[in-house]
Amino acid sequence: MVWAVIGLLAGLVAGVYLPVELPAAFARYHSVALLAALDSVFGGWRASLDGSFHTLVFVTGFFGNALLAAALTFIGDRTGVELYLAAVFALGVRIFFNLGAIRRLLLHLPPGKHSL
Amino acid sequence: MQSRLNQAAMVLVAAVLGLMLSLGIRFQRTLPPTLQNRRWDELAVLLGQCEAERDALRLEVGSLRAALAEAGQSTEEARVVSEELRQLRLVSGFAPGGGPGVRVTLNDSQRTGQAGEDPNLFLLHDDDVLRVVNELAAAGAEAISINGQRHIATTEIRCAGPAISVNNTRVTPPIQIMAVGDPATLESALRMRGGVLEILTALGIQVKIEQLASLEVPAFTGNLRLRYLQAVQ
Repeated sequence: MVWAVIGLLAGLVAGVYLPVELPAAFARYHSVALLAALDSVFGGWRASLDGSFHTLVFVTGFFGNALLAAALTFIGDRTGVELYLAAVFALGVRIFFNLGAIRRLLLHLPPGKHSL
Repeated sequence: MQSRLNQAAMVLVAAVLGLMLSLGIRFQRTLPPTLQNRRWDELAVLLGQCEAERDALRLEVGSLRAALAEAGQSTEEARVVSEELRQLRLVSGFAPGGGPGVRVTLNDSQRTGQAGEDPNLFLLHDDDVLRVVNELAAAGAEAISINGQRHIATTEIRCAGPAISVNNTRVTPPIQIMAVGDPATLESALRMRGGVLEILTALGIQVKIEQLASLEVPAFTGNLRLRYLQAVQ
């Protein structure tokens, strides 16, 4: 956990001070990839809480989903189908689902047994 | 060893996430509140403000020109030069002018087209206006204005969707063309057999020609900035 926070801070600082600008053409892909990455992180957090965390699964999921979401958006742009909406919807729903599960786990409630 | 690797992976993932976050935030910051982020009504307000500002500036131009004309009366030489300038302004359309001439009023056809007929035929188009203006110029009109837009060297008469663009200003029917010149010559030029009037009235375009002993054409109000044209010695 500590290492993750350190890494996060390092990444944030690097992003602020690195002399690279996000090209405007990539901004959309970046946004969707970021959403996928966040989804993986929440998924990983949930998995670590309910004890099914596996680093390799997490890391591959993190990069794989981000790349896949960006690729889906790219393909959607090329074919005129707003595929990124599918990615945004699916990932958004999953993030909220995972957050709900995390809340339950943190409150020490078994998943899905309570109506509230 | 295994946990070391796990830690490294966690740091990597967290770092990448942080990098993506801050890059994204930085990108969003660099985005100006551009057009796409603004709403239509906001843009409409903005346009209204710009137009009000433009009108105010136009008034200012008028008063400054008046002051300039006053300054031109100080010495004999200045008087000669400013008289020449006045004349040139009149010819080029940068000063309002008046005199005898004709007023031509054009409007869309009142005829209702039969089924299958192109309704476009019964609307007043840019080329109809252009034809009338051209004919008036050919008949010796010394100054022409179209709905208050003075016809000058750079004037365009062009289709602009539902309107007609003159001096980059949209004008719509009824179109009133003022032409200073010999009223009888101007009118007969338009009424020439096989001429402009015949073509227009054949489609039912409403044309009214009035000979006036005195009419006024306004000055060109636009902004003419020459970027390419230079005087040749």
